Amino acid sequence: MNVVITGAAGGLGRAFAVECAKRGYNLILTDIFEDGLKILKEGLIRRYDINVIYYACDITDEQQIEKLKEYISIRNIYIDMLFNVAGIDHEGAFTQRSFAQINDIVKVNIEATLRITYMMLNFKRTDEPFRIINVSSLASQFPMPLKAVYAASKRFILDFSYALNEELNEKSVYVLSLCPGGLATTKSAIEGMAVQGFFGNATSNRLEVVARRTIDKSLRKRRVYIPGTLNRIFSVAGRFLPVTMVTRVIYMRWKRALSLRCSM
Amino acid sequence: MKNVVITGATSGIGLAVCESLLLSGHRVIGIGRSAESSEKALSYLISKTNDADITFFNADLMQMEEVRIVSAKIMEYIDTNWDGKLDVLINNAGCVRSRYCTTKEGYEQQFALNHLAAFLMTYSLINPLIKSKGRVIITSSESHKGMKIRWDDLMFTRFYRPLMAYKQSKLANMLFSFGLNDRYSVYGIRAYCIDPGLVNTEIGLKQTFGIVSLAWSLRRKKGVQPDVPAKTYLYLVESDKHPVGLYIHKNKPKEYSSYVNRENADRLWKISEKLCSIEFGRFQ
Ligand SMILES: NC(=O)c1ccc[n+]([C@@H]2O[C@H](COP(=O)([O-])OP(=O)(O)OC[C@H]3O[C@@H](n4cnc5c(N)ncnc54)[C@H](OP(=O)(O)O)[C@@H]3O)[C@@H](O)[C@H]2O)c1
Repeated sequence: MNVVITGAAGGLGRAFAVECAKRGYNLILTDIFEDGLKILKEGLIRRYDINVIYYACDITDEQQIEKLKEYISIRNIYIDMLFNVAGIDHEGAFTQRSFAQINDIVKVNIEATLRITYMMLNFKRTDEPFRIINVSSLASQFPMPLKAVYAASKRFILDFSYALNEELNEKSVYVLSLCPGGLATTKSAIEGMAVQGFFGNATSNRLEVVARRTIDKSLRKRRVYIPGTLNRIFSVAGRFLPVTMVTRVIYMRWKRALSLRCSM
Repeated sequence: MKNVVITGATSGIGLAVCESLLLSGHRVIGIGRSAESSEKALSYLISKTNDADITFFNADLMQMEEVRIVSAKIMEYIDTNWDGKLDVLINNAGCVRSRYCTTKEGYEQQFALNHLAAFLMTYSLINPLIKSKGRVIITSSESHKGMKIRWDDLMFTRFYRPLMAYKQSKLANMLFSFGLNDRYSVYGIRAYCIDPGLVNTEIGLKQTFGIVSLAWSLRRKKGVQPDVPAKTYLYLVESDKHPVGLYIHKNKPKEYSSYVNRENADRLWKISEKLCSIEFGRFQ
């Protein structure tokens, strides 16, 4: 099994890499941080008997993606699984962010994901399944004031994944969207959860569990995975309550969390 | 006067140990996680002691790469300022996490910082330690007891139990000291683990949330101030001959888990070598 992971040097990407390595999959890692990839590779091959290669590039840059494609094709590698993990957010009110920041969210979360997916499908083995794991977010389930562009970009990924899955199912391409709540991957993510108090804790997911179950579910051809019972309840509730109300509640909550965080 | 290197020197137990070492006239190199915390600790220590001989280096010790870089700098310092001799290395930096978090290498953070960093740091500074027949002290804990090593999943990737991962890392400290004595006592080196007791520090409040930080904020109130365990460190640093014992509490050897034996120590040693990609001493 050969696996591509984008955003591999980040917390979730690393957790997927470790989980895949544990299962004996070979890894092709990419991220914008070369250093992180190099170090992760070293850590992985010390622990597991697998092949790891990496290629650092900016996935929003068309030319660099071409080079990544070349890097894979000259090695004659087929791909069985793709994890689109790379994603960014610039939290805060729409008008308080620069337009470049706003645009970056769209470029990384949407455009780059599409480009990578489009390109990697070239490396599918005939007659073998090709699995795609797109990292969406719990934020995809509702409109989110103060994370408006981020949440909408994750909604795009969710809808796109459902549709692509249907379209390519007969060619045995299976697409799963992962919609996690908070993940304790960075110091600031942990601080973010801490200031949200009870809900921050309750909606956060266990990284190691999410990594393992996501792969299990993808192997079982599931289309969406919302980890955590409370998160699933929220998501169902979000579908039945009027959208204006949901949006208002979320706005109150984020406003409070953001102000707490700024005063820290 | 002794030459001492200490990790986790910027708060809690480590800071108190620095203070008492400096007040007794020893020369100290402290390692802090960031320039910010080192500067804070430095100005505190200078305010407490006159002409203190203290130098800080910064490194995020859970990243093995940074352990390598900082230990090379320390080696250089020891060579030029301390005549190549290190009397005591104190591996004290430690952390608590509430969730599974990994280092850049994909290692679980408590295991990486609490155990592997100590392993690699000791390896890197072994020559100046041999030169002065020095001592290695690790801050372990009573929580090493009643615990086993999860050999099939050292980094708790299956289902993370924060407290178990912590306890395992403190057991690893014991096994490492045991293995170090096996391999290096012929060179005159001696390794100890200290049980500091329950100490009122902020360890369980840093980068944690939910039940872990809540539990620690209640529990630490029952702890002693860090200057209490600091006395034991001073005793181990200053004793003329190597004191007897492996696991020390309040200047006295204390019983430790029967899991700490040669077989387990060797097994962990081999794995740790592999995870740091080093070869660290063979049986003599
Ligand atoms: N408190 C207790 O009751 C107790 C009991 C038994 C054993 N221990 C052990 O005692 C040792 C010291 O703990 P403490 O209670 O004094 O806690 P502490 O005040 O949090 O001290 C930990 C030290 O380690 C440093 N550190 C943390 N992460 C680091 C990293 N990634 N790289 C480099 N340095 C890092 C901290 O730096 P910052 O100052 O920048 O945070 C701090 O100086 C630990 O090994 C702990 O396991 C404590």
